[in-house]
Amino acid sequence: MAVDRAPRRVGARVGHFAGFAGPGLTVYAGFVLVPILISAGYSLTNYNPFNPPTRYVGLANYRLLFTDEAFLTSLRVTTILTVIVVVTPNVAGLAIAVLLDRRGWLYNALRSVFFVPMVLSSVVVSIVWTRLLDNEGPINQALRAVGVDRPPGWLSDPDYALYSLGAILSWQLLGFCVVVYLAGLQGIPVELLEAAEMDGAGPGRRFWHVSWPLLAPALTINTVVLMISAFKVFDHVQVITRGGPGEGTTATIAFVVLRTAFEENRGGIASAQAVVMLTIIAAASAVALKLLRRREVEL
Amino acid sequence: MKTRGPGRPLLAIFVAAIFFLPLYVALANVFKRGDLITKEPAALPIPPTLDNIVAVLTRPDRLYWVSLTNSVVVTGLSIVLLTVLSAMLGHYLARSRSRWVQAVTLLLLCGLMIPPQAILMPVVRVMEATGVMTTLQGLILFNVGYYIPFGVFVFTGFIRSVPVELEESAALDGANRFQIFWRIVFPLLRPATASVLIFLGVWIWNDFLNPLVILGPGQGTTVTTGIYRSIGQYQADFGSVFALMFLATLPVLVFFLALQKQFVKGLTGGASKG
Repeated sequence: MAVDRAPRRVGARVGHFAGFAGPGLTVYAGFVLVPILISAGYSLTNYNPFNPPTRYVGLANYRLLFTDEAFLTSLRVTTILTVIVVVTPNVAGLAIAVLLDRRGWLYNALRSVFFVPMVLSSVVVSIVWTRLLDNEGPINQALRAVGVDRPPGWLSDPDYALYSLGAILSWQLLGFCVVVYLAGLQGIPVELLEAAEMDGAGPGRRFWHVSWPLLAPALTINTVVLMISAFKVFDHVQVITRGGPGEGTTATIAFVVLRTAFEENRGGIASAQAVVMLTIIAAASAVALKLLRRREVEL
Repeated sequence: MKTRGPGRPLLAIFVAAIFFLPLYVALANVFKRGDLITKEPAALPIPPTLDNIVAVLTRPDRLYWVSLTNSVVVTGLSIVLLTVLSAMLGHYLARSRSRWVQAVTLLLLCGLMIPPQAILMPVVRVMEATGVMTTLQGLILFNVGYYIPFGVFVFTGFIRSVPVELEESAALDGANRFQIFWRIVFPLLRPATASVLIFLGVWIWNDFLNPLVILGPGQGTTVTTGIYRSIGQYQADFGSVFALMFLATLPVLVFFLALQKQFVKGLTGGASKG
């Protein structure tokens, strides 16, 4: 009996795996895992689809990256953008969530207003803001009307463009933070706040000593999501600035990887850039998760 | 918590109004004559005109209708396939006691962080090798592969909260795994299915880079790549661009307004629990 049974159990287990996990894992492997391996492989070659043959070059591409002005600039641009996008929506989102932390239809409706840009395509958001921030657009028209003679070229001035881009991204991602913080605030037991009030704590101290520590999980989610979003910004750059004005003032890593791969056809270099990008994202998310998780307390 | 007076609601409305200004300008321009859009972009569209919308709907190259059809087909098929495949994979990961479960979970977890930009070039190679490059099928397959980790995590978490006894008693009655899953488990997963359909639906509808690269030039556009191509052509005709964006966004906006409760629930389910 036992001898008879073992193979059938193995068969059933293989069948379970093949039937339930097989199809999904196959597509995932084919279009995500295998491409990552191909990228890692290409990064060690001089691969260029229009200039065969492909030769093994060792770590030459990586060495090249650390002297490549365009790539180093893109690291700097992406870092600045990430800082703006992690800080602004987090701070503004928390303030707005505190403001909207009341019951009633009005507050529900206002929450939806803040969430709308999240469901809009980045292309739509980019075009709307390109119009608004145009040198002759409504924002500069309004500034001139109140007496600013020479309003800045928000998207055409190399000194402003990156910060304008950061502002646009922050505007689009703000709703996410508002919703997550609101849920966090509404999950705080009323008894805790009442107890603090009875002990004589004013609204400020109640917030800092009761609410804020309990919002730690919301801060973790927002920070990690914002960080990953900022790190892969491409659509907005492509539609609004195409990396300019000037030499790569707004060219993010994602933008440079794609330009190197599809416009310059330098497949080997682009793959090395992609591998560096993946490594940074993985490391940064892991560190952020670790640091932020430490603050989280069990209720 | 006993703040009274109109201070809070007024401030809240004021902040929301400032936040909404860009969308008001966009919306106003949909219904404004072309020359007024440049001259007074922030003014109310009085008298309103439907010319911009009619112009987009009756374009001789049918850009809007072709893009809309492609977006509906790609988004619809992608999310149906994603729901089926990720529910089954999620069920396997939640129920199987195989040693592979942890390894597979870890591999999928990595997928949540990987930006498409980092893998698109080799993806194009894989698609050329399998003959699906520049086709809607190719785009749908990539969507399924790329977004499946999200679906799996939503389903796995939810399935763990469904009592396994239901499945065991059905097995004793002689039902096979597929019958048990589709007849007994899947109907219980409706909240998870709703989250997956809603979020992936909006993300895939709004995707720009993937259709841009995978469908390529001249192989048909989705709504986002259609808008992108049109800004080059129209140049100064902002009325048409705004009308096209409005029409392309309308389906998603209606969808969002109808399902916003589920949206918020899906987002905050993880946030409040941590």
